[in-house]
Amino acid sequence: MKRIILSLLLAAVMVFSLAACGTEKAETNTSDAADPADMSWDEILEASKGTDVKFYGWGGDENRNNWLNGTVADYLKENYDINFEYVGMDINDILAKLTSEKEAGEDTGSIDMIWINGENFYSAKENGLLYGPFTDKLPNTEAYIDQNDPETLNDFCKPIDGYESPYAKAQLVMYNDSAVTPETPKSAAELLEYAKANPGKVTYPALPDFTGSAFVRNIIYETCGWEQFQDMEADKDKVKEAIQPALDYLKELNPYLWNEGKTFPADSTALDKMFQDGEVVMNMSYGPFTVASGIADGTLKDTCQTFVFDKGNIGNTNYMAIAYDAPNKPGAMVAINAIISADLQLTQYAELKELPVVAQDKLSDEEKAEFDKVDLGKGVLTQAELLSHRLPEMPADLVPVIEEIWTEEVVGK
Amino acid sequence: MKNKTALRLILVITVIIILLPVCVMLLWTVTGRWPWPSLLPESYTGRTVAELFTGSSKIYEVLASSIILAALVAVLGTAIALMTARATEVYRIKGAKLISFAALLPLMVPGTVFAMGIQVYLIRIGLGDTLAGVVIVHLVAALPYCITIMMDMTAAVGDSLEEQAQVLGANPARAFWSVGIPRLLPGILSSISMAYIISYSQYFTTLLAGGGKIKTLALVMVPYIQSGDRALSSVYAVTFVGSALMVFAIFEAIIHRLIRGSE
Repeated sequence: MKRIILSLLLAAVMVFSLAACGTEKAETNTSDAADPADMSWDEILEASKGTDVKFYGWGGDENRNNWLNGTVADYLKENYDINFEYVGMDINDILAKLTSEKEAGEDTGSIDMIWINGENFYSAKENGLLYGPFTDKLPNTEAYIDQNDPETLNDFCKPIDGYESPYAKAQLVMYNDSAVTPETPKSAAELLEYAKANPGKVTYPALPDFTGSAFVRNIIYETCGWEQFQDMEADKDKVKEAIQPALDYLKELNPYLWNEGKTFPADSTALDKMFQDGEVVMNMSYGPFTVASGIADGTLKDTCQTFVFDKGNIGNTNYMAIAYDAPNKPGAMVAINAIISADLQLTQYAELKELPVVAQDKLSDEEKAEFDKVDLGKGVLTQAELLSHRLPEMPADLVPVIEEIWTEEVVGK
Repeated sequence: MKNKTALRLILVITVIIILLPVCVMLLWTVTGRWPWPSLLPESYTGRTVAELFTGSSKIYEVLASSIILAALVAVLGTAIALMTARATEVYRIKGAKLISFAALLPLMVPGTVFAMGIQVYLIRIGLGDTLAGVVIVHLVAALPYCITIMMDMTAAVGDSLEEQAQVLGANPARAFWSVGIPRLLPGILSSISMAYIISYSQYFTTLLAGGGKIKTLALVMVPYIQSGDRALSSVYAVTFVGSALMVFAIFEAIIHRLIRGSE
């Protein structure tokens, strides 16, 4: 009896693994047929008709989820007959998934497009997790994107080489409630005075939080200038020497911060809650129009105001890339091409209040007028004010080094 | 008398401790702004409830797939646990001790580590991004609890009454079905509920094994909680808890009917 059961089990296992091999083989065939590298744009359009495209990225913003699964999906269905779907997944999980797929030798995964930038792009590209170069193939790259913009060529100072296409522009801004504190610090020195006037009610998210890290880089730019960092090596001693004035400033700021700078809020969402609860008087965001959305959905008072430093605030672009094992590369290319068009960038600007990536001088007069018509809402700076106070990001590999130095030198000092 | 009052007081305090946060969460679902030190929200909004029902997350589809997945895991997990418990507690097969120890091993590996490791294997055997793959991964997470519950229950119930039935002429299957199972039902209900809630609340393992293709409520909810939108998180949390309680009520009704039917 036992022997019979054992042999049945073994047989089942064998059938199971054979079936597994079979599916793997079948999937390989479809991906071979769909490499768009040597297809013309018309062929790519033809190949993408009636297909599914899955876009993976952070899913914590319901407005963006609705824009992608609503406006963008409808646009792609109508114009290109593509079934577009946005799937919420953290970039770390996306990269973990792609790494596993690569390790397992999979060549047809489930992710087509990825929302990515900076460090993550750098490591994904280095590890061969991305498909490319593909941006040259997209007609709208030439039609709408400024080819000489450093943010088109480099992402956190690392060459893009056609492996990702711009998606939206972000910029660090600070904001407070004018009914509570009318003054808006215009420099690091003024920020120090502001903190002294409101002791214990100013702070920033603990690094390596994305926003907190950008804020500290902004302070570094304020106190040390930004040019010297653009080609700096990621050598800890060198970086530390260069940012010493910023470290001194942050240490001087510490006693006036929330909890005297002994601890910092764990992340930007924690700081958001503290600001909404009135526990701190100033907040910051990487979304330049956050205040307008907050006022619109009722989480912020309509007396809130956005401000930047006179010397400028760090801005960066976030991008769309294609997974190395994307099951539908032609479809992904068509979708990306559509998202960088003036049409969809306009809806992104109007519905999500995101800085568009289209170059102003490449727009027709009608398109320009449409962009100008958009009502950004209350408490924000105009696109022109933001862009004239925009500083480039640092090289991606400097970011973790600075975060490490901050943890050692600034917290509780 | 005094003792009774003290007990009642403890009961009331416990109920308040449990219910108060739930009430606060319910209030948060319609809160716009609620700054300190206001006792009640400063402004209210219907934004979050509207988002739940009319947003792009397709709440009914997501709920249906979550419930089907968790129910599948609950039933399979309990069946496996029941068989394991019978083997070790009633038939006392060789290595029963080893099996009961091994059943707890998955608890020692953190979920994230397990998920990342098994994902590669699932892809290799062609189960990556499939329902079957997610069910297997959830089963591994749920089985230690199911098996422990069923082993304790089986040991407590024993097999003497089943033997009695066999003495009276029932075949082993009939004895198990008519005498064994009804006495195990309370344990089966606990095991099903436990496995259900474990599967229902899995996030990272579902994400990696399902690759975003298998959609569950937790997958939609967790990003909103992480993004710090308290009102929207509360709406999803209320949906999560409410739907789980509803399913538990259904499980319990079914089991009770079975118990009454067998008596």
